[in-house]
Amino acid sequence: ATMWTDSVMLAGLTLTAIFVSHTAGVSAPGRPRLTGCRSPEKETFTCWWEPGDDGGLPTTYALYYHLEGSETVYECPDYRTAGKNSCFFSKNNTSLWVNYNISVVATNAMGSSVSEPVDVDVVYIVQPNTPEDVRVLVVDDDPGPYLHVSWEKPLAADTQSGWITLVYQLRVKETSQDTWEEYNAGMQKGYNIFSLLSGREYAVQVRCKPDHGFWSEWTSPAYVQIPDYMLREHSMWIIVAVFAGFLLFVLTWTVNVKRSSVKHCLLPPVPGPKIRGFDPHLLKSGRSEEMFSALVTQHFPPTSSYDDLLVEYLEVYDVEKQELVLGVKNEDPLAPTRTSDNDSGRGSCDSRTLLTERYAEDGDKGGADRQLGQCVAELASPPLEEEKVEAWSTPFSPPPLHLQRQQVGGARAAYHSVLEIPCDSPCAPGSYGHQGESDISKPGGRGASTTLAEPQAQSAEYVEVQTVDHENVLLLRPLADPGGPDVDYAGEDYSKIRDVIPDNVLLLQREPSAWPCAADPGQDRGERSCPTALQELMQPCKPPGPLQQGLRLVANGYVDASAMLC
Amino acid sequence: MCKLQVIQACLLCLLRGSVALPLNCADESSSPVPCTSISQDKLLDRVTQHAEFIYRITEEVCNQYEELYIPYPLRGLKNQGGGTCTSMSFPNLGSKTEIQQISDMRLLHYMLILAQSWVEPLTYLQSSLKNNDHAPDTLVSQLKWVSDKLTRLEQGVVLLISMMQEEGGAAPPPAALQQALSEPQLGVPDSIFHEYNSLMCLKKDAHKMETLLKLLKCRQTDRLSCTL
Repeated sequence: ATMWTDSVMLAGLTLTAIFVSHTAGVSAPGRPRLTGCRSPEKETFTCWWEPGDDGGLPTTYALYYHLEGSETVYECPDYRTAGKNSCFFSKNNTSLWVNYNISVVATNAMGSSVSEPVDVDVVYIVQPNTPEDVRVLVVDDDPGPYLHVSWEKPLAADTQSGWITLVYQLRVKETSQDTWEEYNAGMQKGYNIFSLLSGREYAVQVRCKPDHGFWSEWTSPAYVQIPDYMLREHSMWIIVAVFAGFLLFVLTWTVNVKRSSVKHCLLPPVPGPKIRGFDPHLLKSGRSEEMFSALVTQHFPPTSSYDDLLVEYLEVYDVEKQELVLGVKNEDPLAPTRTSDNDSGRGSCDSRTLLTERYAEDGDKGGADRQLGQCVAELASPPLEEEKVEAWSTPFSPPPLHLQRQQVGGARAAYHSVLEIPCDSPCAPGSYGHQGESDISKPGGRGASTTLAEPQAQSAEYVEVQTVDHENVLLLRPLADPGGPDVDYAGEDYSKIRDVIPDNVLLLQREPSAWPCAADPGQDRGERSCPTALQELMQPCKPPGPLQQGLRLVANGYVDASAMLC
Repeated sequence: MCKLQVIQACLLCLLRGSVALPLNCADESSSPVPCTSISQDKLLDRVTQHAEFIYRITEEVCNQYEELYIPYPLRGLKNQGGGTCTSMSFPNLGSKTEIQQISDMRLLHYMLILAQSWVEPLTYLQSSLKNNDHAPDTLVSQLKWVSDKLTRLEQGVVLLISMMQEEGGAAPPPAALQQALSEPQLGVPDSIFHEYNSLMCLKKDAHKMETLLKLLKCRQTDRLSCTL
């Protein structure tokens, strides 16, 4: 009974204990965990663990290890040096190139638990300490300052004997930025950093690594301030920019001052039309009358009417007789080709053709007659080369007699032959007017009177050219009395030749009616030109009214002395 | 990792050019290439570069193999079947203090033995990977490359030993060293773990060689990388 009572009491106590323990929350400790082992210099190493649940009771931890190939289990020699939950293996306890099998045991009142074993070879877990004594220096240099960073090896690492070989790395960043700039420094213990911005603060850190192992932690940052400086290139560029700006300003000012000449040089003005006598300013002013009047010269534009161009004297011969007399009509090489010569611009007109036309058509044609007044001086000399020279050279001297005679046979201007015509009766005073060239008519006179010259002096008739119409047709009307004062002319007059005195001088008879012609025979230009002396010889011609009255001696090269001598 | 690969490629290029020259100039009749004598410093540099390259390639092979065949929880765990890569009985090279007490000649000898010990396992590893048809071609070619470079490294170490022996260094009898090295226990042959363990051991030994050579370099010459 007592035995049964004891066992029951024991069971009851155990159950109570278990119950109490469970309600109090205590249990065996949970499994700890080895977090890692590290060797800073390949001579010692440390292992850390993480405790598991302690089960509510004070728990102790113990680290046990054994070397590979050996069954001997050792306990951690040093729990304190490396801190809590750590085990430090000193040099004597460290073997290289040998695996350590390490495990941690947690024990409390309720029980114990063992961690997972870990195999560690010391040579593979080397992680050095951080480098020592990091210093940063600002070095002033050209073009700008740079940083010189220097440091020392970690204290425990034995690099001198070659036991451990370390390589270093550093990083820099501006304190306000987030990204680091990393540099590898190899095995050296100093490094220069360039191209840092002026006036900024930088932080520098260094770390190291063995040839086979892990990187150390970064050193605490070293701060440095870069002084303010101006890059030499910047100051140079500023100077260049200022200088260029100054040059640009000077250039712009010069161009502005001389802008007109620059404009003239770059954009030369287009030359405008240059019309002589044309004044564009007048045009601008709007006074067109003045402008146009300035354009008017003596010769242009012709302001006279057709009437001014009328032939004043026209001697018309009968065609057949003319042919006999002339005999050269057909021989004139030029004549047939110019049946209608209405070239009014030719001063040296083809008197031949004019005469031919006139003769051929009884004076109906007169297109070229306009020129005759101008041509008078020229008509006297045929377009023979030799004669031309002589004739033109002495416009106011009587032509040599022989000239005229030579022309008889020539197939030249009709009037030359006509000059011979009056051989029949040229000398009769008063009848000279009948003779002569029909071509010796002067244009420009108002109311032309023509003398109709015939081989017979008495047969000469005077016709008056009334008008010249637009087709160069002379409208003639016969004159009743060529020499009579009662001839109905409007202001015309012509003079009769009273006598010819031996010195080839014509004595003109003054007529009451004045012929509006120029007194000077040489003055034969224009439409109002007076017939030459020759013409006057042939036609009674009076000088202009208010001018010379009475006899007029005409000593003119155009005087046909041959006629006198007849 | 990217950076490592770049450096690795550069080193490969360098080595391919640099290892063309025969290291042993004494034997001129053996090679048609004219032998150029090389200084001890330069030779040490070259050998060290070889070791660096071997380690990098081996590390890459291991990582690839792990990703292909080893589930994550088992990674890093070696010796599933027990055993170690090399015996610890050989002069303890477990710590810096111990290593610093060893003379240069002994270190060189050690490295020579180490290099020689891997020639056969590498051949076996390559054939194993080829036969199983499960490894990609890149793995096999990389292992081949490692094997070649290891051979060159061995030659270089031999030359260094001869150079240093001329200077009057005492050489330990090779036989004693040979006996110190035990056969690596890699597990069941022709298994995945066998290959994996083999690769892991290779990687470790490559690292060891590199570290020792660097140490040797700093001892032998006044280099800036050592004094700074």
